[in-house]
Amino acid sequence: MSSLFNDYQPGSFFDEMFSAPDSARSHYAGITGSIGTLSPAEYAARQRTADTVFLRQGVTFTVYGDDQGTERIFPFDLMPRIIPHKEWERVESGLIQRITALNLFLNDVYHEQKIITDGIVPRELVESASHFRPEFKGVKVPHGIYIHICGTDLVRDGKGEYFVLEDNGRCPSGASYMLENRNAMKRTFPGLLQSLPVRPVDAYGSMLRETLAHLAPLSVIDPNIVVLTPGVFNSAYFEHCYLAKQMGVPIVEGRDLVLKNDRIFMRTAKGLQQVHVIYRRIDDDFLDPLVFRKDSLLGVPGLVKAYQSGHVALANSIGTGVADDKAVYALVPKMIKYYLDQDPILPNVTTYLGVDPKECEYILANLPNLVVKAVNESGGYGMLMGPHSTKEEQTEFAERIRANPRNYIAQPVLQLSRHPVFQGDHFEGRHIDLRPYVLYGDRIQVVPGGLTRVALKKGSLVVNSSQGGGSKDTWVLWDDE
Amino acid sequence: MLSRVADSIYWMARYMERAENLSRLLLSTQDLLLDAGEEAADESQFWGPILMTTGDEERYDKVHTTIEGELVALFLALRTDNPNSILNCVRAARENARTVRDQISDELWECINGLRLFLESPEAAALHQNQRAAFYEKVLVASYQFQGIAASTTPRDESWHFLRLGLCLERADKTTRLIDTCSAISLDMPPNPLARPLRWAALLRSSSAWHAFQAYSSNKLNPVDIVEYLLPNDTFPRSFAWCIEAMHTALIALCGNGRLEEMKVPVRLLGRLRADIAYITMDEVLKEGLHEFIDRLQSKLNDIGASILQTFVLYGDSAPVIGEASFLAYHPKVEANMQIQQ
Repeated sequence: MSSLFNDYQPGSFFDEMFSAPDSARSHYAGITGSIGTLSPAEYAARQRTADTVFLRQGVTFTVYGDDQGTERIFPFDLMPRIIPHKEWERVESGLIQRITALNLFLNDVYHEQKIITDGIVPRELVESASHFRPEFKGVKVPHGIYIHICGTDLVRDGKGEYFVLEDNGRCPSGASYMLENRNAMKRTFPGLLQSLPVRPVDAYGSMLRETLAHLAPLSVIDPNIVVLTPGVFNSAYFEHCYLAKQMGVPIVEGRDLVLKNDRIFMRTAKGLQQVHVIYRRIDDDFLDPLVFRKDSLLGVPGLVKAYQSGHVALANSIGTGVADDKAVYALVPKMIKYYLDQDPILPNVTTYLGVDPKECEYILANLPNLVVKAVNESGGYGMLMGPHSTKEEQTEFAERIRANPRNYIAQPVLQLSRHPVFQGDHFEGRHIDLRPYVLYGDRIQVVPGGLTRVALKKGSLVVNSSQGGGSKDTWVLWDDE
Repeated sequence: MLSRVADSIYWMARYMERAENLSRLLLSTQDLLLDAGEEAADESQFWGPILMTTGDEERYDKVHTTIEGELVALFLALRTDNPNSILNCVRAARENARTVRDQISDELWECINGLRLFLESPEAAALHQNQRAAFYEKVLVASYQFQGIAASTTPRDESWHFLRLGLCLERADKTTRLIDTCSAISLDMPPNPLARPLRWAALLRSSSAWHAFQAYSSNKLNPVDIVEYLLPNDTFPRSFAWCIEAMHTALIALCGNGRLEEMKVPVRLLGRLRADIAYITMDEVLKEGLHEFIDRLQSKLNDIGASILQTFVLYGDSAPVIGEASFLAYHPKVEANMQIQQ
């Protein structure tokens, strides 16, 4: 039978769709029977329809260090990534386990620090983390939850095993693309979505709102929730607007908020109105010039005081960055064991810490075979992809690591799983990852699916939007029949 | 509605209206020169007053030594170093629109964004070079579109009233400035040798009022009637009195009339101006002097503008200062850039 996938080569990687050439995995059967029968021209026309939808709606992000065309469309590949029900159940329980342990860890390091006195996590490692906030030791936060919104990055290796690559517990972004990708699929392949038991994601807005409302001071029945954005120049401004609209709450900047009697108010044309919950998309450093960076114009003077006195809640809480520090990450399996007495359902990627002299030596000796990451950077900035790097880059990184070993970790290069991606008139395999969104309110909820990011450049392993990545819709199935 | 959002909607409307008025003024001046015959030999007497109207004389003198039509037109239309050029007005309107994109309709956003993209394109520069009238008309049409879309897609809540306040205040201000360009010209009619009928005709065209005035007045082009039509007469939608009436409607919708002791400052100031313009006679205007009278109107408008800002945006204590150029005083780009979005 002639099919769009006839000449597709899964290669030596773990391919999400094909176990061998011409042999699609069973959960992709619906796709081969429908998309597979289109001609390349027909498929390309659908892709163009989807692209137009994104263009018209201005689904864009901003690229830093580029003064010219700063707003770009996030490239979208129509071919959906499908996750069978059974597989997802495991991922979901792994994510729930992980966010539970991370929150117990945060509550612990900001209060009794048992995990440190019990010798599981070294004190220096916690206290040297740049996002550790000693000012917050002993401060009670609503319900003891620190990370309410988490965007964990998952990857699969050559055997198809899931690993946690990063826990993004500060301001994870991308949920708006997850929602918009599904909308684009609804418009381009309505029949296909109807014929497969795909779990919907569009409840994210109301789930997020519910999660935030749960944080409000107990005395408030109908809390005022806002999204706090750094402003139009921020890379994720589109997303901030989008999520505010989905939740039906105002989007505010720091200058819209004022402190009075330890409470936070927003300035409306009719006067001051109290705010009870702030979904902030501003880093700790910029939140409050009275406590953190004095030169910040983005924050609200006194916000930290209002938060500490319990009149306003923040999501995520302050100081969560200590849990997603890339060096602390290496210890999460130990935290799971320590707090929950369980084995991690989703394993970590092997990680070498620069701060450990032995491991540091190993990193320096094996630079060409490792991925080196700065512990506080994100978005694909500040990293060295060993196998794709030049001698000069390696020498430069070696110097940086020697100068500040605490600041670096290294991991073996994973052969990330691949997925068919449409390239002009045929499909080629490209590396992907997965970012599911986990919400922690009165209970923990995981959105079925998430954002599948694609390294669009041939052979590339970097999926970040700022580094030429794209995305796909992610379909989690209700059942595997 | 957030004060900042109200402020941005207000300025979005003001800047669009400003760009429109500037386009029409440049277009009518260009037409006037074509009719002026010998008088047109000295271009500067036509273009000089325009720079005065827009308040850009000093800035212009810094970059040019002589007043020439070509230079003035380019300076007011597309120069990026003139903050009041059509291009920069539209950019400012667009920046304000961008910050409140979630509060305005997609159609309205696309209209403003489309005009900005055009003005920044090489085609716009070429059109201004070769077919100037077509360039101005394009801006005018975009502004009419903006108003039409706004009227048919904006809910009649605070967004609409702030939009109307901005638009009408800007229009009232521009109408007085246009009339002021003629305040030094004789009010006589031909055959008196001092009469300058072309200039008065140009004033009507700059206000889009040519046809309306012809239908209104059978009395040829009597300068006093023209001034009356554009100032205290409230029938034509660019006249000063009409704009004040529309502002009044918007303002009352926003904060009510209230009893005297609790009345908001802009309501009080606007109410007084409204009475003043409603009950004045042209004899009184001319006795005071047209220029002096207009000066007084403008300073009252400025007070009203400032009081609107104070009442709805800057009230309270630790508020940041948002002035006319608030879009320029936006957050330093760098800092917003540094926010990590994981």
